[in-house]
Amino acid sequence: MYRSAEVFWHQIFGSIVAFLLVSFLGAPGSAKAQTATDQLSGKLVITGASTLAPLIAEIGKGFESLYTKVRVDVQTGGSSRGIADARQGLADIGMVSRAMKDEEQDLHAFPVARDGVGIILHKDNPVQTLSDEQIIAIYTGKITNWKDVGGKDAAITVVNKAEGRSTLEVFLHYFKLKNTAVKAQVVIGDNEQGVKTVVGNRNAIGYVSIGTAEYDESQGVPIKLLPTGGVNASTETVRNGTFPISRPLHIVTRTPPVGLAKAFIDYAQSKAVHDTIKQQYFVPLAE
Amino acid sequence: MGEDRVETLNRTQNPREWLATVLVWGAATLVTAIFSWLLGDILWHGLSHISWAFLTAPPENAGRRGGIGPILVSTALILGVCLAVSLPIGIGTAILLAEFTSAQSLFGRVTRRSLDVLAGVPSIVVGLFGNAFFCKALGLGFSILSGGLTLACMVLPILIRSTEEGFRAVPVSYRLSAASLGLSRTTTLLHLLLPAAVPSLLVGLVLGIGRAIAETAALIFTSGYVDRMPESLLDSGRALSIHIFDLSMNVSGGDANAYASSLVLVVLLLAINGTASWLANYGLHRKIVTI
Repeated sequence: MYRSAEVFWHQIFGSIVAFLLVSFLGAPGSAKAQTATDQLSGKLVITGASTLAPLIAEIGKGFESLYTKVRVDVQTGGSSRGIADARQGLADIGMVSRAMKDEEQDLHAFPVARDGVGIILHKDNPVQTLSDEQIIAIYTGKITNWKDVGGKDAAITVVNKAEGRSTLEVFLHYFKLKNTAVKAQVVIGDNEQGVKTVVGNRNAIGYVSIGTAEYDESQGVPIKLLPTGGVNASTETVRNGTFPISRPLHIVTRTPPVGLAKAFIDYAQSKAVHDTIKQQYFVPLAE
Repeated sequence: MGEDRVETLNRTQNPREWLATVLVWGAATLVTAIFSWLLGDILWHGLSHISWAFLTAPPENAGRRGGIGPILVSTALILGVCLAVSLPIGIGTAILLAEFTSAQSLFGRVTRRSLDVLAGVPSIVVGLFGNAFFCKALGLGFSILSGGLTLACMVLPILIRSTEEGFRAVPVSYRLSAASLGLSRTTTLLHLLLPAAVPSLLVGLVLGIGRAIAETAALIFTSGYVDRMPESLLDSGRALSIHIFDLSMNVSGGDANAYASSLVLVVLLLAINGTASWLANYGLHRKIVTI
């Protein structure tokens, strides 16, 4: 115990001195991606969707352990940022947690996994199913009380996602809604935040990534996923393609990838990362 | 004696006085209760996960398992950069404002007003500025250096205003006596005014560090998200507050480690505050007396 503490502080002190040296000697951006014949080295900057960030960071760690001279830096900020940074060349690779749009055809997109978006209610809410029409009516404010859809006499709290979030776009696309038509009481950002909002309010309705909701449900968090279009919301139905509200998770580049970026994209699309994808509660692409 | 008794009786019987007493005590109890609840909740959920291994190991599986070693190092480095930049600039500006410009002069008023405005700028705005200026315009990229410099922009107004108040609180007679003894302005500043202003400087420092170490929004766009052990100040490094935010809001199943990391953050803050007040009370007292 004591020894390890000593070694730890030793390392920290040593590294602080090293930082100062390195940072004054090394100019910014000097470690750009370069391809060696046998060994890849350099730094790969990846920015974009916060949904994808933990997954790509984990894939990056696996990649770093294969190529020890490579550093993969993952930054978050949303899919729109992933697109913008990849276009401007601020990032080598962008992360986009939805299908690519028509105006984004200038980018080269590579799917790495799938994710489903499921409607969630509090576990104590007696409502077991909602039709698409009912969900549209709830989200546009035409139905405001649970008793109109077979529940208790209580006002519905509508939880919506913030502008720029891919889950929002996937949700709106499936239900053919415009965001301006949505009458929401709560607007949230990340998936876990959506789950926590519904847990804290028995009369709330929200939608989050199915992987997140499924994991939380298995951990005893009091939420339930509603079926959509008669199909149960689960990672299994997302995998076999039967679940209607699902989205591909992409990584994108501005130019056709070469060298380091190509090696990383090949690795991220290989079977070697399927366990990592499942660990992050996403669904690997079918072979 | 007799009058005292009458007054005491009057007070307890007067409903307005009684109500005021209840309200004041109620407010104080509420604040204490909320703080205890918060601390208790973090301790309850976090304490069992804290271990030496947690404090030194790198995060695994997006932070659900493993520890926070590299994150603690990044946080310390970001804070170090922030203080190394803001302390000299802050003390310098405070001296200029308090000792070399009058409180009524236009320059002094404009500077003070802009500092007050700057102190109230939301941290996300500072973060976007830091991203545009340090990361892109200066080409520092996502790095500990960018993060520390951005935090320095946030901490400076608090530090300057607090230190300036400290200088202004030193009685004019000190300066006059020093001048009449033929001491130079620099000597007066270094040996007389600066030690006397140190308690206020420390207050500003504690407030500033408190704001900096708990900062999330300004850092996510500047020092970034990378949870690897940093190798230089130009590497991106994830701060503790960003780690907590990501674990609780973006990573399912990250709550246990989020609580443990929160506990570490709270303990760090309490330790910094404790050290500063100890310094203000004991460590620096002697210096003022001997000179």
